[in-house]
Amino acid sequence: MPLVRRPSSPAEATAAPASLTEGTSDQRWAAVRAASERPDGVALLAAALMRENEPRVREAIFTGLARAATAESAAAVIPCLRSEDAGLRTAAIDALRAMPGATRPHVAALLGDADADVRLLSCEFARDLPEDEANRLLGDLLVRETEKNVAAAAVEVLAEIGRPEVLPALEACAERFAGDGFLLFSIKVAAERIGRP
Amino acid sequence: MSELPAVTEEEFRKVSDFLYRRTGMLFTETKRYYVQRRIADRMTFLKIGSFATYFSYLRGDVDGEIEQFINAFTVNETYFYREEHQLRCLSADLLNERVQAKKPGEALRIWSVPCATGEEPYSIAIWLLENWPEVDVQDIEIVGSDIDTECLTAARQGEFGQRALMRLSPALIGKYFETIGPDRWRIVSDLRQSVQFTAVNLMEGSQTRQHGKFDIIFCRNVLIYFDDASRRLAAENLFESLVPGGFICLGHTESMSRISPLFEVRRFADAIVYQRPTGGTHG
Repeated sequence: MPLVRRPSSPAEATAAPASLTEGTSDQRWAAVRAASERPDGVALLAAALMRENEPRVREAIFTGLARAATAESAAAVIPCLRSEDAGLRTAAIDALRAMPGATRPHVAALLGDADADVRLLSCEFARDLPEDEANRLLGDLLVRETEKNVAAAAVEVLAEIGRPEVLPALEACAERFAGDGFLLFSIKVAAERIGRP
Repeated sequence: MSELPAVTEEEFRKVSDFLYRRTGMLFTETKRYYVQRRIADRMTFLKIGSFATYFSYLRGDVDGEIEQFINAFTVNETYFYREEHQLRCLSADLLNERVQAKKPGEALRIWSVPCATGEEPYSIAIWLLENWPEVDVQDIEIVGSDIDTECLTAARQGEFGQRALMRLSPALIGKYFETIGPDRWRIVSDLRQSVQFTAVNLMEGSQTRQHGKFDIIFCRNVLIYFDDASRRLAAENLFESLVPGGFICLGHTESMSRISPLFEVRRFADAIVYQRPTGGTHG
């Protein structure tokens, strides 16, 4: 039979990484992956995050931080939500969603952030909160929100997790944005999904 | 048969949206009865009286409920020639592309992970022997790995019942198996010897690295069970286990694009697979 069987190839030798921010992208990737397995890795990863521009290495940094899932690792990722780089913002959202427990203490503040983009992106984090907390936070947002895109993001989340007690906030939002057909349609769909008390 | 609880169209959509986001599994309206049936079964089993309560239970993944729910939509048992379209893609496209990229005499390495009790790596071996003309001139190394060492023991023994062989023709069974009892067959010795079985935890980079680099990885129907952080880590470990230009095949309900941006999507006639990029410094 022509198929062969042989012992697995030995693992490729990987030089002990000296720095997470120097060397080739392959070396930085290896350094990041190694740091992720160290007890003091979060501080190293956090320091490297804002300096790393190679998407593959940056992805590994985010994975390492998400895997740590500590207050420190979430705090390291949150500033990326304000980045002008859409790829970095998206990666940050994914990382924060991958560590819901560590992100949870930050959600209320993020939903009240002065930056509408941050509020919009942070609506997604509410999906992973306990439902009563998510309904309260998104309901509070809807009654005060002035940016329709932020409101739409909150409504989309409530379409899945909304409870009847958030219906008044949806109605208040609908009244405030009465001239916006898309948002009114979204609110109608969410209310229908929330449905029966 | 238990009476189905009233699951409204909106409630069905809620579940469908949640499952898509959580697992990548897409349930359209045509699957509504199936989903509803499963919800009813789980609610009855858990003695939960309302959909809203069950949905909270599911979303919260209480007692591993997401896995319990997903199990209803995946084929938990494995069998020979499962997802045959990927095997067709392997022999028609993937291997030929990998051969072009390799030095003469360099072995092609294929990894089946998780391999459960061995049906998949043995299927790959049989399929290639039957369907890939180059099989006589290329060295092909097939490794099956799993976290479950009892499964690996069974895989090495290579004994299977009728259900596992249901997709194989009598001719193939006669060629690659020996009868060892009523409705019981064992892979012939030569074929058993051609597949190597090892233990691995996909979450442990130190373990995946020990297996070296592969040209093609079959990693089907396991990532959907992982949470987001675990899935990202497993994806990076798999990425690292591929040679540049190597391919990874997932289950038909899975999408690497939703897990990690590291891979490129490749569409072939028989399957969509994911590839480790060859260019730049992605080496």
